[in-house]
Amino acid sequence: MEYKLANQIAKRKTKQVFRDRDSTIKLFVKKYSKAAILNEALNLARVEEGTDLNIPKLKEVTMIDDRWGLVIEYIEGYSLAELMDDNPDKIDEYLELFVKIQLEIFSKKVPLLNKIKDKYNRKITETDLIDEDVKYNLLHKLDGLKNRSKLCHGDFMPSNVIITDSGKYYIIDWAHVTRGNESADAAKTYLTLKLNKKDDLAEKYMNLFCKKTDISKKDIQDWIPIVAAAEITKGDKSEYKFLSQWINVADYE
Amino acid sequence: MNENYCTVDSVEALEETLKKVRKAQEEFSKFSQEKVDSIFKAAAIASNNARIYLAKMAVEETGMGILEDKVIKNHYASEYIYNKYRNKKTCGIIEEDKAYGIKKIAEPIGIIAAVIPTTNPTSTAIFKTLLSLKTRNGIIISPHPRAKKSTIEASKIVLEAAVKAGAPENIISWIDVPSLELTNHLMQSVDLILATGGPGMVKSAYSSGKPAIGVGAGNVPALVDDSADITLAVNSIIHSKTFDNGMICASEQSVIIIDKVYDEVKSEFEKRGCYFLNDEEIDKVRKTIIINGGLNAKIVGQKAYTIAKLAEVEVPENTKILIGEVEHVDFSEEFAHEKLSPILAMYKANSFDDAMSKAHQLVMNGGIGHTSSLYINTLTGSEKIEKFYNKMKTCRVLINTPSSQGGIGDLYNFRLTPSLTLGCGSWGGNSVSENVGVDHLLNIKTVAERRENMLWLRVPEKVYIKRHCLPVALEDLKDKKRAFIVTDKFLFENGYTKVIIEKLEELQIEHTIFSNIAPDPNLACAKEGAELMKAFEPDCIIAVGGGSAMDAGKIMWVLYEHPEVDFLDMAMRFMDIRKRVYDFPKMGEKAYFVAVPTSAGTGSEVTPFAVITDEQTGVKYPLADYELLPKMAIVDSDMMMNAPKGLTSASGIDALVHSIEAYVSMMSTEFTDSMALEAIKIIFEYLPRAYDKGAEDPEAREKMAHAATLAGMAFANAFLGICHSMGHKLGAYHHLPHGITVSLVLNEVMKYNSEDAPTKMGTFPQYEYPNTLRRYAEIAECLGIEGKDDNEKLEKLLVRIDELKDSIGIKHTIKDYGISEKDFLNTLDVMSEQAFDDQCTGANPRYPLIEEIKEIYKKAYYGK
Repeated sequence: MEYKLANQIAKRKTKQVFRDRDSTIKLFVKKYSKAAILNEALNLARVEEGTDLNIPKLKEVTMIDDRWGLVIEYIEGYSLAELMDDNPDKIDEYLELFVKIQLEIFSKKVPLLNKIKDKYNRKITETDLIDEDVKYNLLHKLDGLKNRSKLCHGDFMPSNVIITDSGKYYIIDWAHVTRGNESADAAKTYLTLKLNKKDDLAEKYMNLFCKKTDISKKDIQDWIPIVAAAEITKGDKSEYKFLSQWINVADYE
Repeated sequence: MNENYCTVDSVEALEETLKKVRKAQEEFSKFSQEKVDSIFKAAAIASNNARIYLAKMAVEETGMGILEDKVIKNHYASEYIYNKYRNKKTCGIIEEDKAYGIKKIAEPIGIIAAVIPTTNPTSTAIFKTLLSLKTRNGIIISPHPRAKKSTIEASKIVLEAAVKAGAPENIISWIDVPSLELTNHLMQSVDLILATGGPGMVKSAYSSGKPAIGVGAGNVPALVDDSADITLAVNSIIHSKTFDNGMICASEQSVIIIDKVYDEVKSEFEKRGCYFLNDEEIDKVRKTIIINGGLNAKIVGQKAYTIAKLAEVEVPENTKILIGEVEHVDFSEEFAHEKLSPILAMYKANSFDDAMSKAHQLVMNGGIGHTSSLYINTLTGSEKIEKFYNKMKTCRVLINTPSSQGGIGDLYNFRLTPSLTLGCGSWGGNSVSENVGVDHLLNIKTVAERRENMLWLRVPEKVYIKRHCLPVALEDLKDKKRAFIVTDKFLFENGYTKVIIEKLEELQIEHTIFSNIAPDPNLACAKEGAELMKAFEPDCIIAVGGGSAMDAGKIMWVLYEHPEVDFLDMAMRFMDIRKRVYDFPKMGEKAYFVAVPTSAGTGSEVTPFAVITDEQTGVKYPLADYELLPKMAIVDSDMMMNAPKGLTSASGIDALVHSIEAYVSMMSTEFTDSMALEAIKIIFEYLPRAYDKGAEDPEAREKMAHAATLAGMAFANAFLGICHSMGHKLGAYHHLPHGITVSLVLNEVMKYNSEDAPTKMGTFPQYEYPNTLRRYAEIAECLGIEGKDDNEKLEKLLVRIDELKDSIGIKHTIKDYGISEKDFLNTLDVMSEQAFDDQCTGANPRYPLIEEIKEIYKKAYYGK
């Protein structure tokens, strides 16, 4: 199918996102890994077929002007992030919904997805951006953390939850989905909120999450140096100073 | 010595190294104790000599800790470990007890993977390599990347000294470029892991599938009681907390002070150079030391001044410790964490209990299983100390001791094992709860030789025999004051007690008689007698009669001396009388027990057994314990002269079965054998005469009296077998006299026991192989029976037994006694199962299956 790439709705270092009628077209930069793109499509398909979650459907994997692209159903509505910004008085209500949706995702099983510990191990092992002795501590710490098999969105943020006019919600952007320990997913959400300077929301989120799940703050905090390290591997220099403080955590005797 | 060690930086290189160490260890495992000890000594001297060099290197490389303290740690790891184990046997036979036939042999484990932390990079390496040398193990060190140079150097120094002293090359090795992959590979390839490191590391060690000794984190609280010597307490804590900048895991993390002495403690800390942070500064330090619940690695092992500077707090440069006065003990309080630096939390407690619950919470937060510390006046505070050690879930509880130096042992207490690896027990997720030492690095083989049990011959202290001996024997009671006679109505009314009473009167002994004993004595009757005894308070009990009266007398004796006893407990079955669960009460403290038999059979006058029936439930309690052994037995055939024929035959045949079973029992000895054989000979010869002629043949009566007592002494020590197990149940369900029941199953049991290849033989060290056929043949031989082989001798013996039965009017089958087939079959299953569980079954040379007992019963019923 032919798409009009006139309406760009987002632009990142690795991709541009366009909307054409009821489709979202994610168009990756030329050198981007083919395997990574196909993997993202495969993960999306697995979640779509393996769960009854409300998620936009994958429509097509395509090539436009020598660039790989994923065509995904476009969901009309407002994101929870927008709603939170527009209605600060209702922020608790939205946060409540946000956590509820995250727990609903955890309740699903998609056995063929990659394991979250493998993913973090790989990212930390491969990077040059972390000192060897810190890396050694982090990898040992990660090795000792509990393996579980919850569906983890991997970038669960208010901006990735869309509420339609009819009040139905959709969870979008499944590029980082894995299965594993839900504390890791919560740590990732917490960290990203902090990186986005949403400190108050981050703390509120952490408290609400712990309350709803009976997971201790410490369990989530155990993952923070790991998710912070994975974040460093992306190579964003503006975040490096902040993140490097978070990864250098002693863990002995 | 090859100066160029191959570099271990990949799985392949590690595999190579593993092979080399494996080979070296195989050779090392053959070394003698002497050689090992000289290697151990040389290595300890070398590491000791390198203590300053290594300490410098560690401080330079890691940027943590204090040079002079690291020198102490290296010195300690060399000298104290050497001293502790210099004379310890770790090779070959380390323990032997020839009498018991047991030997313990120490063998090395193989290759040990040792994970070394950054906090003690050289001392832990020295410690673990020395232990492995002493135990003939190979060891491969996995250093921390931040301290690899110094850890490897320490290992190298120990290795080179060891090799120079004769150890195989490559007995110690290491990973040069540590990584998670190599550490995990190492852990999966060795025989034991000694992991000192963070929780992640320890978890990987435990999940490697290899045995692991991992140790956990500490969060040591120090409780200062108001009775403590404050100066000593504060200065001990400072001394410990500042040691190597607080990097020892046993170091105090918080001080909890009883409010009464809080100000005094505080001013002592101030006086000695500690800095108390104000509220604003506390907040700054909180943010600096803990990041997202984790300890900031940058502060570990740093000086107080350096940490304050990081937190933008100004303190004097020589500040010893930064102290934060805080309230909360949960993890939301950053000061409540383990800080591995000279930072201390200080709490005020309003009571000792409050202080303990704070200490408990701090331990539970992050130091479960590790160490806790208490400062107190030990002379007045023993109750509090007990409370404290009961409450703390820590494997070390230190009293008035700086915990860093105290926890590692041998510095402030000389029985606490010196170690740099402190176990935290299952609480801390560890496999050991004590300080790790050489014992944990050895496999101990136990060589156990077969030994025979000690056996015994236990008989009453006095056994008087011969016709007319009764009054003479009773002279022995002249010092007694009050005698209680137990007998049955028949004997009493027919004057059997007359001679006794006359003698007692002559001796001026107060006496009374209880003659209400029925056959098969029951508890009610025994209790009645015991009540009378209680009132009469005898110092002597004389039981006169057959088995029933003597057994009833024994039970009354028990109830009189120990009214609290529970018969169900006393009747509990045992496999070995020495190992029985129930402690039988001590007997004879109130009264001296004399037994005078009036029939030749039960042997109760010389046995430690008694049977009593609970008339309400019908349950029989067979009691057995040497406490029940009479003190004196008087066997005077005058008392048996006029026994009726039925009694003579039933009790006579009972004595025969006692002898035969005691002779083939697994517990028989030469002592019991001779008595059993003699009794058998007498019975075959004199029982028919005693039966036929009664009082007219006093010689036969006397012989039979002695035979029954001999048989009693034999089975009192060798015990019985399944004739009695089966006879007991047959009697209980079909109401036949005891002697008859055991004789009815005798022949079939003998055939059953004589099997050369039984389904199961009995379990007893003296019983070497199924030899019961031979034992029966020996009985036959003593009766003069001849035969071409043992089988024929047994057959002829069985015929002789049948002939004996015929001559004394005993029938051959159960059926002959008028038990209906229906009644018999209805009770067959329950009798078989109960007979199997009877106390007498345990000594039988063939261990019977319940189904087999059933078959024997059937044959005994139908006569084949």
